[in-house]
Amino acid sequence: MKITNAREEILHSIRTNLAASVVFDVNYTTDHAAQNEQPVPALKPNPESLVELFAESLEAVDGHCVVVEGHAETVEAIKKIIAGLRSTKLNPRRVAVSDSLEIKDLIESISSAVEEVEMTPIAADLFSFDVGISSVQAGIAETGTLVLEADRERNRLVSLVPPVHIAILDASKIFNTLGETLAALYRDGKVSQAITFISGPSRTADIELTLAIGVHGPQELFVIIRR
Amino acid sequence: MLVSLFVTCLVDQLWSSVGVSSVEVLRRVGCEVQFDDRQTCCSQPAFNTGYRDEARQVGRRFIEVFESGNADAIVTPSGSCAAMVHHLPELFSSDEHWQKRARLIADRTFELSSFLVRVLNRDDVGASWPGRLTWHDACHGLRDLNIKTEPRRLISKVRGAEFVELDNADSCCGFGGTFSVKYPEISLAILDQKIEAIERAKVDAVISGDASCLMQIGGRLSRKGSKVRVMHIAELLASKA
Amino acid sequence: MNHLTSETFDDNARAALDDVQLRGALRNATSLFGKRRLAAAAGLQNWEELRNRARSIKDDVLLHLDQYLEQFVANAESRGAKFHWARDASEANAIICKLIQDRGGRKIVKSKSMTTEETHLNVALEAAGMQVVETDLGEYIIQLAEETPSHIIVPAIHKTKRQISELFTSELGIPPTDDVDKLTATARATLRDRFAEADVGISGVNFGIAETGTILIVENEGNIRLTTSLPRTHIAVMGIEKVLPRFADVDVFLKLLPRSGTGQRLTTYQSFITGVKQNAADEGPDELHVVILDNGRSRMLAHPITRQSLACIRCGACLNACPVYQQIGGHAYGSVYPGPIGAVITPQLVGLKKTAQLPYASSLCGACREVCPVKIDIPQLLLHLRSEITEASVNKRRSEQFAFKLWARVMTSNWLYRMSGEVGRLFQRFVVHNGKIGKLEKAGILAPPLAAWTSGRDLRPIEKKTFRERWHSELKRHD
Repeated sequence: MKITNAREEILHSIRTNLAASVVFDVNYTTDHAAQNEQPVPALKPNPESLVELFAESLEAVDGHCVVVEGHAETVEAIKKIIAGLRSTKLNPRRVAVSDSLEIKDLIESISSAVEEVEMTPIAADLFSFDVGISSVQAGIAETGTLVLEADRERNRLVSLVPPVHIAILDASKIFNTLGETLAALYRDGKVSQAITFISGPSRTADIELTLAIGVHGPQELFVIIRR
Repeated sequence: MLVSLFVTCLVDQLWSSVGVSSVEVLRRVGCEVQFDDRQTCCSQPAFNTGYRDEARQVGRRFIEVFESGNADAIVTPSGSCAAMVHHLPELFSSDEHWQKRARLIADRTFELSSFLVRVLNRDDVGASWPGRLTWHDACHGLRDLNIKTEPRRLISKVRGAEFVELDNADSCCGFGGTFSVKYPEISLAILDQKIEAIERAKVDAVISGDASCLMQIGGRLSRKGSKVRVMHIAELLASKA
Repeated sequence: MNHLTSETFDDNARAALDDVQLRGALRNATSLFGKRRLAAAAGLQNWEELRNRARSIKDDVLLHLDQYLEQFVANAESRGAKFHWARDASEANAIICKLIQDRGGRKIVKSKSMTTEETHLNVALEAAGMQVVETDLGEYIIQLAEETPSHIIVPAIHKTKRQISELFTSELGIPPTDDVDKLTATARATLRDRFAEADVGISGVNFGIAETGTILIVENEGNIRLTTSLPRTHIAVMGIEKVLPRFADVDVFLKLLPRSGTGQRLTTYQSFITGVKQNAADEGPDELHVVILDNGRSRMLAHPITRQSLACIRCGACLNACPVYQQIGGHAYGSVYPGPIGAVITPQLVGLKKTAQLPYASSLCGACREVCPVKIDIPQLLLHLRSEITEASVNKRRSEQFAFKLWARVMTSNWLYRMSGEVGRLFQRFVVHNGKIGKLEKAGILAPPLAAWTSGRDLRPIEKKTFRERWHSELKRHD
């Protein structure tokens, strides 16, 4: 490895080469000119239509959506999902949950439906869990995307490792567009240490361009929108 | 309107009827046509192969020849040559004097079909040609000069002609100038996809605005013993059945 | 496995053209991606505006690259990321090997990164005695097959289900199957063990956001999330040009990249990683090391035409649109970066001498420029490189140089121009039959272009009367 400082050398190379281009730049006007004005913002849809739009977008990427109101309906929805999975090879016996308060409230109710519920198991153990349940911090209606922030909830691995992810999304936290969501995530000059966007179950088309759902991430994604 | 015809070296030597047809059509729509016989080439072959000094030599000659006429417009039956003329200012980017002169020429240079439709606002030039035909979008005309609707409008007014849109009409025929002889196998592979589409279209003729594409397509059709003919749009428009 | 080089591009291309299965696979893939891209772009009313916006952001970044890089590094460092700068490929590999060795790392999982293919990182890691497994399904397949990727987005596109099944049978012991879901499930199961025991995860970086010090990585499979959240140490490799100025700029690029690459509105996962966790008990790696790679990129800043190469966001759209790539696929280019963008950045990264064929492997049709989300004018770049090649006499084409010098003389002299026409007409009598010129193999010695043309196409002969002669005799009006 060279003794001289690589950082300084690279920055110097950048500056020198940019300086060398100045004489040529005068002849090359780009017509990509200042398009830095904001594009016309979409009309603000009402909250109900945001829920509808989200559900539609999620289903377009093979996610499943159900809309509920209140705690009891949420529990019912989860139980229904688990019952539905029972007959498949994704037989849900062990459920991992995140540490959010909303989820804590649900643990007791879910416990009766499965063999085991554990809150944020260690990574190595997570591989033997069948379902992960977490809340999410926001949703993006235009793409059916879930937004997770590691600083707010330990949902990063619970939403990734088990083959099924059940996400609870508060209807009031659904944004219309990606742009609005990004603006909301960048608060007080900072962003959360790890932000994850999830749009449907994991997929690949690497083998003869044939779509296969469920590669390394979850094979099934269920989103429960709670009004 | 006084038009100076830039017939192109390819048409001059290998396809004179394209030039003759262009004159016929331009006269039919009321233009006076001038032909300066000192013209040769737009310099495209050298420019495209990377020989810029040689391209500049020939480009300067082009500029001098066409400066001398007092025509309102320079019209050429070739999208790629018209596009090359539009590139001449870039070729002289380090010579302000020649760049200026190149720009003046480029600003009044037009490909034939776009001249008829955009400048003269004509789409019916009194042509008739009975038969089934299709159009191949030559790349430079399409992507450098945005020529897409104009030829189709002109063709739609040809009496007796049945027009069929070619599958992937806008995909390259594989000519690409010296590419066709530097990489003949790849050129032919690309060409055969175009030929397949032409065969599926079951037409009597393929029309295009560039003699180079027509040579590529026509040369292969001929080698395969096909009955399908190739025709330049100027020839089609000059036809009177 | 002998990997092809750019120097033998013409031979590589010929071999690819003979591969019927490859050509079928390419035809399907490129046309499917092309259709999807078109539909996805049409789904946004402001597609052209987005392209302009993206290009102007990239232009700004590149013109101030040093400042944005420094801002990016400072912000990421303040959140706990560590940076390492690599002037070239071997320095990058050495840095990464040392980072891993210093931490006693042995089991490495890797997600898809063109930059690490560029540096041949896996070869260096294996030479240092480390086990590294590619976790992206396509990359895993070609790693097992000991091949190189043939497409930027779908690296194993050249392989059939049958070939992949045979590969899995011989390497992983599973029974043969035609079922894509079964093959995928096999890869998933095998790789999960590797994820579970990995101590180091290596990834690429799609974008580095200067304003916040965030690295953004996008994917569909979930292997990047696993690679960057399970192992203790995460090493991210990034080309200097991958910086974006503001967090909000992500919007434009996330609209353009997935739609251009695969026709999706968004890929399944986006991971925004800013530094490392503050509490040991939190999820995620303990350490984040970002390796910033130059390897010839800074040189490209020296001219506006070459500088635009660095705007590339590696979407692969140009590959799918290119009539040449569609016929020969990626391996023929002999480079990590194939297709139109590969034909322009490979010579700049590696040097013109070994790659002089690549800029000529194009018909200049412009389809690539039309689909590029950041409006890189690839034909302009190809022409620029071609002129550099002739000026440096890199390809030693003496006869071609002479031919063009002669051509220029002929084209600037009326007399010579007319004379050469006459000479042509004289000699062609020997080869014109039935009004056309057929196959001319023997002409090879005298005129290779003629032989090349007539190998598959007939040629129109020079006219008995040229246009200019007809003008004078038939058309000229004397009024």
